[in-house]
Amino acid sequence: MSLRAFGRWLESTSLSHLIQTTHGAIADIQVVHILALATLFALALNLSLRIAGRGLTQEPTSSLARRFVPAIWICLAILLLTGTLLIVAEPGRAIFNRVFYTKMCLVLVAVAFTFWLSFLARRRERRPTRLHAALAGAYMLLWISVIVAGRLIAYSV
Amino acid sequence: MIVETLQWLQGTALAVSISERWFPFVESVHVITMAMVAGTIFIVDTRLMGLTSRSLAFTYLSQRLLPWTWWAFGCSVLTGTLLFIANATGYYDNAPFRWKMLLMLLAGVNMLYFQLVTFRGVATWDSGNPPLPARTAGISSILLWSGVIGLGRWIGFTT
Repeated sequence: MSLRAFGRWLESTSLSHLIQTTHGAIADIQVVHILALATLFALALNLSLRIAGRGLTQEPTSSLARRFVPAIWICLAILLLTGTLLIVAEPGRAIFNRVFYTKMCLVLVAVAFTFWLSFLARRRERRPTRLHAALAGAYMLLWISVIVAGRLIAYSV
Repeated sequence: MIVETLQWLQGTALAVSISERWFPFVESVHVITMAMVAGTIFIVDTRLMGLTSRSLAFTYLSQRLLPWTWWAFGCSVLTGTLLFIANATGYYDNAPFRWKMLLMLLAGVNMLYFQLVTFRGVATWDSGNPPLPARTAGISSILLWSGVIGLGRWIGFTT
């Protein structure tokens, strides 16, 4: 099945029809998508700062990671679900769009980073190094790039 | 008078330049800073509701997070203003835009009331479970800021 045929099939599914024909459904799904992204962004910021030896320093890094990393995964699950619904509703906006694939690549790298930082944070407490600070900074830059790519999808359809 | 001023505003060189070229980039920065505003507020609010970060004192958490919130809020107001002037008359007439401004005002009033009244007794609950007025301020803030984000998205669907 070609990508174009897949897009046409996706658009013809009853779920796609339901979202397309329900007033405000696409906007409301996007709202949930953005709220999850906002929460994830703030959690990631705090995790990054703590790994770099700043931020909520009264709490051990491992303890903060135990609280924040599962919340990041929950936000990612909500993002995946709402993102999938948006693709099902308007396949043409995503599957023929280079910016969309750029965003997905960035998300994959950010997910890998989340695993890595989570592993790093849960190890025995050590003094943060410059490498830790660089990793934490790169992690935030990744999420910033994901948000920018997400917004630019609308302008590159 | 207002409409004439807005028409003049969106005719300025800066507004035209944003409208024709820079809108997607300014909007991206607006989304990033709004995400930081709402996200950091949610973390402080859930502590205020006694749901998360209970091992940390409320004053400590807010002192560490709120500077980020204010910094991002400043950038958000700046980028929001730039987006507004690009289509001032369109946004002025837009219902979600007006509701968004109203909710932001209410969020400010909620924060001010909390700071001037509820926060006075923080010493008694700083490291423990916040009292009902503090928890009410927390949930109100989450609902108001979620509304601000939601209406912000709806603006794009109605202009």
